[in-house]
Amino acid sequence: MPKPQTRKTEFRTVKRIDNSRLVRVLEPSRLRELAYLTMLGTVCLCVALCYAWQHFHCIQLGYELQDLKARQAQALTLNSELRLEIADLRNPGRIDRIARVQLGLTEPVPGQVEFVSGPGGAEVAAYRIPKAPALLGPARLPDGQAGSSQ
Amino acid sequence: MDQAQRRRLLIVVILAAVWMTAVLVRLAYLQLFCYREYLSRARRQQQHVVEVAPRRGEIYDRNMRPLAMSIPVDSCFAVPSEISDQELAARLLSGVLGIPRENIAARLASSRSFAWIARKLPPEKAQAIAVLGLKGIYFQKESQRFYPKRELAAHVLGYVDIDGNGLGGIEYQLDSQMHGKPGRMLVLEDARRRWFASSEQTADAGANAVLTLDEKIQYIAEKELIATVERTHALAGTVIVGNPNDGEIYAMANWPRFNPNAAGESPAEARMNRAISALYEPGSTFKLITLSAAFEERVTRPDEVFDCQNGAVYIAGHRIRDHKPFGLLTVAGILAHSSDVGAIEIALRLGAPKFYEHIRAFGFGAPTGVDLPGESKGLLRPLENWTPVSAGSISMGQEIGVTPIQLLSAVSAIANGGLLYRPHVVKELRRGGQILTPDGARPVSEPQRVLRPQTAATLRHLMEGVILDGTGKLARLDGWTAAGKTGTAQKIDPTTGRYSRSQLIASFTGFAPLNQPAVAIIVSLDSPVGPHEGGQVAAPVFKRVAEQTLAYLDVPRDVPLGPAVEGAALRRRAADASVEDLADFSPADPETEAQLGNQETAVHGSYEQKENAAVATVAVGDEGGVPAPALTGKTMREVTMECLRLGLQPVLVGTGIALEQSPAAGAAVHPGSKITIRFGSLAANRGRSRTRQ
Repeated sequence: MPKPQTRKTEFRTVKRIDNSRLVRVLEPSRLRELAYLTMLGTVCLCVALCYAWQHFHCIQLGYELQDLKARQAQALTLNSELRLEIADLRNPGRIDRIARVQLGLTEPVPGQVEFVSGPGGAEVAAYRIPKAPALLGPARLPDGQAGSSQ
Repeated sequence: MDQAQRRRLLIVVILAAVWMTAVLVRLAYLQLFCYREYLSRARRQQQHVVEVAPRRGEIYDRNMRPLAMSIPVDSCFAVPSEISDQELAARLLSGVLGIPRENIAARLASSRSFAWIARKLPPEKAQAIAVLGLKGIYFQKESQRFYPKRELAAHVLGYVDIDGNGLGGIEYQLDSQMHGKPGRMLVLEDARRRWFASSEQTADAGANAVLTLDEKIQYIAEKELIATVERTHALAGTVIVGNPNDGEIYAMANWPRFNPNAAGESPAEARMNRAISALYEPGSTFKLITLSAAFEERVTRPDEVFDCQNGAVYIAGHRIRDHKPFGLLTVAGILAHSSDVGAIEIALRLGAPKFYEHIRAFGFGAPTGVDLPGESKGLLRPLENWTPVSAGSISMGQEIGVTPIQLLSAVSAIANGGLLYRPHVVKELRRGGQILTPDGARPVSEPQRVLRPQTAATLRHLMEGVILDGTGKLARLDGWTAAGKTGTAQKIDPTTGRYSRSQLIASFTGFAPLNQPAVAIIVSLDSPVGPHEGGQVAAPVFKRVAEQTLAYLDVPRDVPLGPAVEGAALRRRAADASVEDLADFSPADPETEAQLGNQETAVHGSYEQKENAAVATVAVGDEGGVPAPALTGKTMREVTMECLRLGLQPVLVGTGIALEQSPAAGAAVHPGSKITIRFGSLAANRGRSRTRQ
């Protein structure tokens, strides 16, 4: 004869936890550590950004430098071309041809040219800067500047 | 977390680890084992080594006027492996360059890595190719040589090939020092082929050469030579102008000539520098050497009289005739009238050994050592090979071959008192302000004494007689003393092997002024037609070149100019003035041609009017101008106004009141000419006048 089953009673208890009274204690050392880490991270990030900026700026400067070098080379080439053109224009044959054909000049005959022996540099300077007497005050220089006469 | 979850997590972790490991292994493999391969591949893509062509040294004349310059220009090349459609590229390039498409296609097909498309392109063509933007087409800077004065001094300067290697003249002689060393440039480029970094090993620029040539004197020499060649229809000609006191060459002109900018288009004979390499029998100019040796050995005196036997002498059974029968002539007369018989008698008295010794001392039969390539040493047989006739023949300039530069050196020795200098055209080499020693040229050595000063003075006096009373009268200068010797030598006819009666070498060599020579000149004309004597065709060239050169060098006149001389010169000029004469020099200058072409008619029209009119170069002693105004005592403003009113250019010196003027008041001046006025204070001028009194 089967045994009659016994009923078991289960009890569930709900433990209500109330943490509202718990207060987390701030730990200064952890905070400092966190701050250091944050700062370190920030610095590292800045360094990385700075490096990246420098790198790309360097490349950008490289482009600009190459551009300037190219312009310098162009300027040098232009300078050479202009010097060549000057030399070409100063060709005695060309000048002779222009003088004869365009201007109707011919070679002077002996005695036709007189070399005027102009005054020497010191003499010209003496004329240009007249020596005024000291009593008359500052002499007037040709360019309009006042100068003291000694 | 239950077991299933743990398992799944474990699988993810393992997969991640495997993936990470695989990545790390691959990374390590690429970095450690494939490093070199990928590095080289990256370098191939990003880096280019560009060769920087060296700048070839420039060539200047003695006054630093450029005679040869180099300019960087673009050369176009292709890397055919990078060109996807070569036919299209060839067609496009052909349209720009004007080169047949097949030629460009053949060049592209010839190599996979490199092929020149066109070298040394004009800027507009390089730009046009760049605009095409073809892949695999690149540009390389190369140095292009230019000779801005074109034919001027072409034989001295020489020329270069397309690679910039010197092939003649100074370009060849100093090639190693003027060429420079190429540099290399490492270039980094991005994906769009823009350069963003470069490191350069700079190219060493070649040294600049400064020559002793003077551009103006060179032009004078070439102009006169060309005018004479055109007038006489000579086959060739040479004029050398040098300084007899140190061996410097001022000018070396040759005809025919060539344009070194396009040297390949000229025949080889046009590129030959006849001044140093053309051998010819000097004829009577060699009598100077004969007399030098005789005076040096004291076998005769200038006033000794020789019997010239009415124009013929027999030596070893050979009858040698004079160009004109002479009777008794002094030694001075023998030189002045260029008697062959007299020269032979002097040489025979001197004797062959001593004569040979002096010829060698003057440098004949050996190169002078001029710093130019291709110099001939001349032709002088050793003494043991002389025949009994040789001394006589050589005494009158036959049986011996000389170059113009050899003869000029010898005459320079007579001019400077007996010192033989090595002629040279290179003054110095400069690199970055430093003066270098030329490798290709011997240093200017100490001169060798070949004549006693007394002998040289005697010869100078006799050579003056040649110009005053002898065969060189047409070489007489207006305003300066001069000395010289004419020469007319027969050429060997190659068909008969005998002396030709029609083919002659006319020459003149001399120097001026007599006592303090500033220039020594030699003129040589090959086979002139019509008048063919040295005194007829070469002496006038000497005169014109010498007068212009001495005036240019501002050498003081040692002969006073009288009205007769001036009048004669004016008459000569009027007689010479013709359109052909005025257009005697036609440089290959397309720009000038174009500029002047439009004015040709107008100028020609005014020409006829001007032919006998006054010349506008100067305003002294000429007719047709206006009288110079009296400007003395006027202020600067009044003087300027007066001059501008008359169309004169005032040159104002000093400040104050006009004290002096040149030309003087009343003298004929032409509109446009300059008038110099000196200003000052009247008081100071009076003081100066009193001091002078």
